[in-house]
Amino acid sequence: MTTLLEVSGVSVTFDGFRAINNLSIQIGEPELRAMIGPNGAGKTTFMDIVTGKTKPDEGRVIWGERNISLLGMSESAIARAGIGRKFQKPTVFEEQTVRENLAMALKNKRGPLDVLLYRRSAEGAARIAELAEEIGLADDLPRRAGDLSHGQKQWLEIGMLLAQDPRLLLVDEPAAGMTPAEREHTTDILKRAAETRAVVVIEHDMEFVRRLGCKVTVLHEGAVLAEGSLDHVTQNRQVIDVYLGR
Amino acid sequence: MRLTALLARAAALLILLACAFAMRPGAAVAQTALQPLLQEHRAELAKPSRTTIGPVISALLASDHPGMTGFLRKWEAREVYLRPEDGLFFYAEEAGDMLRLIDIDSGAAVAEVGSREVDQIRPNAGVRREVAAALVPYELNAPDPARRAEALDAIARSAEASQIAPLAASIEGETDPALKTRKERLLTLLVAQFGETKSERLDAIAGLGGDTSIEARSVLNQLTATRDGVATALPDDANIARVLEVGTDLTEAEAHDRLVAAGLAPPRQTAADLRDVLAQHIVDGHVGGVPLHQLDTTAARARAYEALEQAGTVPPRAAPDEVAQAVAAHVFYAEYLQPDPQITQAAEDALAATTRALGLYQTADLVLDGLSLASIFFLAAIGLAITFGVMGVINMAHGEFIMMGAYTGYVVQLFIPDYTVSLLIALPMAFAVTFGAGVAMERLVIRHLYKRPLETLLATFGISIALQQLAKNIFGTQARPLTAPDWLGGAITLNDIVGISTIRVAIFVLALIFLALLLYILRRTRLGLEVRAVTQNPGMAASMGIDPDRINMLTFGLGSGIAGIAGVAIGLYAQVTSEMGANYIVQSFMTVVVGGVGNVWGTLAGASLIGFLQKGIEWFNPSNTLAAQTWMVLFVILFIQFRPKGIVALKGRAAGD
Amino acid sequence: MSKPDIAPRRSFLAENPSVMWFLGLLGLFTLGVTVLAEGFGLALLSTSMVKILGMTLCLCLIAVAMDVVWGYCGILSLGHFAFFGLGGYAIGMWLMYARTQGIVVESLANAPIPPTQEEINDAIATQIFGVVGSNELPLIWAFADSLFMQLLFVVLVPGLLALIFGWLAFRSRVTGVYLSILTQAMTLALSLYLFQNDSGLRGNNGLSGLQNIPGLLHLPQSTIALWFFWASAAALGLGYLFFAWLVSGKFGSVIRGIRDNEARVRFLGYHVESYKLVIFTLTAVISGLAGALYYPQAGIINPAEIAPIASIYLAVWVAIGGRGRLYGAVIGAAVVSLASSWFTGGGAPDIDLGFYTINWTDWWLVLLGLGFVAVTLFFPRGIGGLFDMLVRKP
Repeated sequence: MTTLLEVSGVSVTFDGFRAINNLSIQIGEPELRAMIGPNGAGKTTFMDIVTGKTKPDEGRVIWGERNISLLGMSESAIARAGIGRKFQKPTVFEEQTVRENLAMALKNKRGPLDVLLYRRSAEGAARIAELAEEIGLADDLPRRAGDLSHGQKQWLEIGMLLAQDPRLLLVDEPAAGMTPAEREHTTDILKRAAETRAVVVIEHDMEFVRRLGCKVTVLHEGAVLAEGSLDHVTQNRQVIDVYLGR
Repeated sequence: MRLTALLARAAALLILLACAFAMRPGAAVAQTALQPLLQEHRAELAKPSRTTIGPVISALLASDHPGMTGFLRKWEAREVYLRPEDGLFFYAEEAGDMLRLIDIDSGAAVAEVGSREVDQIRPNAGVRREVAAALVPYELNAPDPARRAEALDAIARSAEASQIAPLAASIEGETDPALKTRKERLLTLLVAQFGETKSERLDAIAGLGGDTSIEARSVLNQLTATRDGVATALPDDANIARVLEVGTDLTEAEAHDRLVAAGLAPPRQTAADLRDVLAQHIVDGHVGGVPLHQLDTTAARARAYEALEQAGTVPPRAAPDEVAQAVAAHVFYAEYLQPDPQITQAAEDALAATTRALGLYQTADLVLDGLSLASIFFLAAIGLAITFGVMGVINMAHGEFIMMGAYTGYVVQLFIPDYTVSLLIALPMAFAVTFGAGVAMERLVIRHLYKRPLETLLATFGISIALQQLAKNIFGTQARPLTAPDWLGGAITLNDIVGISTIRVAIFVLALIFLALLLYILRRTRLGLEVRAVTQNPGMAASMGIDPDRINMLTFGLGSGIAGIAGVAIGLYAQVTSEMGANYIVQSFMTVVVGGVGNVWGTLAGASLIGFLQKGIEWFNPSNTLAAQTWMVLFVILFIQFRPKGIVALKGRAAGD
Repeated sequence: MSKPDIAPRRSFLAENPSVMWFLGLLGLFTLGVTVLAEGFGLALLSTSMVKILGMTLCLCLIAVAMDVVWGYCGILSLGHFAFFGLGGYAIGMWLMYARTQGIVVESLANAPIPPTQEEINDAIATQIFGVVGSNELPLIWAFADSLFMQLLFVVLVPGLLALIFGWLAFRSRVTGVYLSILTQAMTLALSLYLFQNDSGLRGNNGLSGLQNIPGLLHLPQSTIALWFFWASAAALGLGYLFFAWLVSGKFGSVIRGIRDNEARVRFLGYHVESYKLVIFTLTAVISGLAGALYYPQAGIINPAEIAPIASIYLAVWVAIGGRGRLYGAVIGAAVVSLASSWFTGGGAPDIDLGFYTINWTDWWLVLLGLGFVAVTLFFPRGIGGLFDMLVRKP
């Protein structure tokens, strides 16, 4: 397992409020990592920083074997470098079909001219079918994404992430609002994805995290409070105080 | 004609002064009757003409008779009558259909006559000016301050050397301090131009430095006036202002034109002249041996002309190199009309000081202009900023609310003729009308479009065109007056340059009041608290028992109501038309965008920036306000590049990005 | 199991029957107008009517462009009519210059001595710019004698302006109503500039006499009107086809994605700004072309045409016609612009209410404004949306 993403000494302040405070995290490849913490601990802001949405005041974010800094790059360039992100609220293109959603996400050249001259190919179609199968939407390809159920939208978004074929997946609360059966399926998808790439999952639901069975990072007030197996961190006195409840 | 009149007048004044001084010690000629003195000049007095009256007036004034100035004033005012039967002069007053004649010396009524029996003497305008000028020195000491002021005006209008002495003499006895200052200043002006000794003049000129009054500036400009000169070498005796370089100060063509005007060079031949000359010498389809169809280039035409020249049919012409030679052989300069270099130098120095002072005052004036424009933009934009900030809604009909406010003011004036009262009623009325319109619009249209801001923009645009056309249908296309009360009609002026109309001051004050009022409402009242809560997080506000619908409605009403009041204010100095709102809407948008959304201070900053900048650009190019607006808009587009969220931007998550 | 992998490759038209329908109807319409037109012989349609129809087709073309930039890509541009006007000015410069040149050469032909080139140039400049008190051709008229160069400018000037403006605006992530206001400001700046007498484009006099096509002066206006009508129809057909192709494939998918959720598209790795810039510039160029076809039929162009209000009306047409569907834009532009000229041209009969007579010249704008509000509120999909409901009903 080699280090894929290295965040070190990152701080960010909003209007005097320190959302991230000297945060350092390393993610390997392949790896499945869960990230937990109370509200306002800086989990989502962490993802914002990695994906280029928020610029930190200080610190470094280093990516890949060639140690590229992500800080100067635009969101789209970071995405092309191999980082995919799923938002807390499912954001799929509701006006378009499931197939169009997946096709848009497929790993292909992203320039306007390339896209304009893009021709549908048999490989592309096969890949879309494969992904649809994986996320359980094989029968729904021609449907409007807006007509899908909440859980199906979550899966579609995960499917779009996989279609990008990223090296790092950042997944924000994938199981929110899902039935237990759907959760199980989601866990399977994520675990399978983590066999070949790095996956970081933000989740509140401890049961879900336990099922993932991976290393856990606990954030608090913008910094790492504890790191290790779920059992290890749940024993931690501080974690119990600030997060698991008094 | 004019010259002789001037000479006559000058001569008259000289005589007059000489006599006045000469006779002062023995002023005992008094108390002879006036009538005999007048009879000596009966013909000229009865039928006065501008060319001959000068010496007569001087002779009359030379008599130093105490009643003489009074008589001349009445005579000039056409209040003197001549009775043809005995040739005597009388004053007269009306008595029914008759005229009661009054003796000039005794003041007693002499007779009542019909108006046909006497001739009213009617000096024409030219004569009356002569008389007025001759009387100025006497008027300077008149008991009535208004008459003294008039006399000073007369001197300022047409200054002459002869006025120095009486003016100087009158200063000591002057009781009115303001008039005394004026007299002293006028004296300086006169001495600067006509002083007897050079040192006296130099002192006076130095005293004018920094004086920004139009009178002082025109005196200095006169003293430094130049005329263009050209010669083979710089003349020694002339007071040269500067030497002009051909190529930098004037073009070769201009230089040559001056040579031609001075008779120092033959005129250049223009292309049109050349063509006309050639056209006169067409022989068998050829000119100078060149076939006609070839004459469509300048070179061919020159060839043809040379051929004609050699044949002797046309005179030689000034070729381009000859023009250059002629220009090079001469020196071009500007020469002071005033021959004394010391005086011109002093005047130039004084003028420089004046220019500096002028710059200072102009800057102050510019600041005032900018301030008043900024307050108008602030008033026009603040309502928009409130609705945009709180609801994220762009109201394209905002301009029409401004128009509705102005028309409300106009309608109120139709019913209440007293402008002060009607204004006091119009302001709250305009607020009420546009508040109502705003609330109605919010409830009927905008409420249903909250999730679709771009469509709100378009729907409000639809309302805007409907309202505009509706106003046109009701009030017509003509501009309607919204008259300001008298106490707002004037202007506050500091001097000739710095001034601001009272109405603009009032708008500035109104803007300040609204700034304070809005700050108070938003910071200190329950409504303000709720508005801020809804602005920052509508969902959270709703869950805490604040009704966002109600807040939105009130905010929209408030924003629209302020637009109505802005409409009354704008209508007071601009015209009320159905399109007036459209003229302000884009500026208002820019004010909001530049200032930053959702913040009273931001709007203030935006309005100030746009107002001052627009005035500043206008100052660089005063003739072209269109260009100023063009640059203004370009500036805003570039400004957004650097501060996309405006001057006062919200940061972090609250900014909603 | 999943459905068949991929639909067999069919031609674009076969996959998009609505485009076929549109092109067919446009062809029929063109044929109908041609047969009925004065220039053809039947003379059931006057030449001025043919011109109005031709101009309407140009307006439909810019409406289609507007629909792509707004309905598909979500950029509510209030500046596309400025590009339209710039295209008109670019071609108008050649039309006016060449026509004036013809007149000048003709009038100087009788002079005893043939004129020099400078004399001709001076006479042309005086003829064109005398009205704004100048007798020199401004620098921007340097290529006015070349039809090729001016045609190039029809494309280049709107294209470059859109490129620079779009680059600045999109780069700093100005979106939504801010962007709309900014485009409106751009339009305002342009029209204010053109209103100045020293703009080099004759200030508020604008360019006139554009209906006289140099080199074709021997032909009657009825023929020329028909030619321009055909050209406009062809331009609309080709433009429609091009945009339909553009928005149908993956590119269309991406720009609709940008409209619905810009950030998401960005996190998928697409450089959103480039896409917006491509769409903005492309539609600006098409708008310029539409303007270049429109103004020779209108005969005159002046800065008032470019005023911000015109661009807002353009948005109104598209909204009434129905956004996000190209035929909606065509319907909106055609219906509203023709209705406008019918109502304001005195074509509509007054309505006598007994106590008040509704005169449509006065009340049309009120009706349009309120009608537009109603459409926005109750039929956000516009006329095209109603059309969809009729067609799609099983």
